Amino acid sequence: MSENLFELAIQELKARTEDIRPSDVVLFSEPLRSALNAMIRLNRFSLTEFQEKLEFTREETRQIADILVERNLFTVSKFSNDEETFYESRLSAMTRPFSRPPSDIWKKIN
Amino acid sequence: MSTIISIHSFRGGTGKSNTTANISALLAMDGARVGVVDTDIASPGIHVLFNLDESEMVHSLNDYLWGKCSIEEAAHDVTGHLGSEIKGQIFLIPSSIKAGEIARILREGYDVGLLNDGFRDVVEKLKLDYLLIDTHPGLNEETLLSIAISNALVIILRPDSQDYQGTAVTVDVARKLDVPKMLMLVNKVPSQFDLEDVRTRVEQTYDATVAAVLPHSDEMMALASSGIFAIRYPDHPMTKGLRSLVDQLKA
Repeated sequence: MSENLFELAIQELKARTEDIRPSDVVLFSEPLRSALNAMIRLNRFSLTEFQEKLEFTREETRQIADILVERNLFTVSKFSNDEETFYESRLSAMTRPFSRPPSDIWKKIN
Repeated sequence: MSTIISIHSFRGGTGKSNTTANISALLAMDGARVGVVDTDIASPGIHVLFNLDESEMVHSLNDYLWGKCSIEEAAHDVTGHLGSEIKGQIFLIPSSIKAGEIARILREGYDVGLLNDGFRDVVEKLKLDYLLIDTHPGLNEETLLSIAISNALVIILRPDSQDYQGTAVTVDVARKLDVPKMLMLVNKVPSQFDLEDVRTRVEQTYDATVAAVLPHSDEMMALASSGIFAIRYPDHPMTKGLRSLVDQLKA
């Protein structure tokens, strides 16, 4: 069951070709949506905290976090060390054109 | 630990800015350090309630979004404009009221993520207990982002069919964004309505907590945004309703 949810989460994240913004999170399924909402509100958090919310294995959580770093929703904090990775949620999505209207807004709401 | 509160309504004219200003004053009357951001860039107005004159606006939110200043440089301490009842401090980050600057924002747009980064920066730098975000009416990227980072959301509506429908959308989005505390405020209720009936109807419609039902007030209309109602009329039923909302936000 958990494995299926992990696969689904990976699939949904990889389907996004652009940066992921905090508001995009409403499009994701559970438990990814709730976990991301919680981390965005925390702003600064550890891999362990993210894992506790996702309830995936540490390795699975790391794979998801890596994609989110690639997609610019998370950045790896300079306070990370060998035992723990710390992240910060990133609210800007600079790869999107500056003045582009949010054309996907209604998709998010629907 | 500071609290970020978004104040939103799906439609315009619900009294969002007035409510935001009153919440900030009531929080500051209890000694809190409060920041208020006017994100209604296209039609700014909350500065009027705080008696902040254009000549005093050294920098605005627009300047921050264009990289001309830091977010705390755009924050104006308006505590002294409000009277001795305020024990804490209120900082207002106004949007520019210069026509050319409004036009530029509308024409060129801005990075909404930067706006939200600014919210967090200003909370930290000004050591705020509360940051109130006076949002645009309707739903757009800014609103979704504001809700995404807020600890509490106040949704204002009037007892009006158009408001009821639009508000349902906002409530749905807020739930998807897991906003930890969502409070409804029914405002401008005509005197012939039963306030308790309105409360029950709204609670049942949205399955959400109604923090207060505020009657239409002639005193509020007469004040005409020339000051903050809760300071001017501390014993008015409307102020009591707003106080109840504030208490629930603090709880």
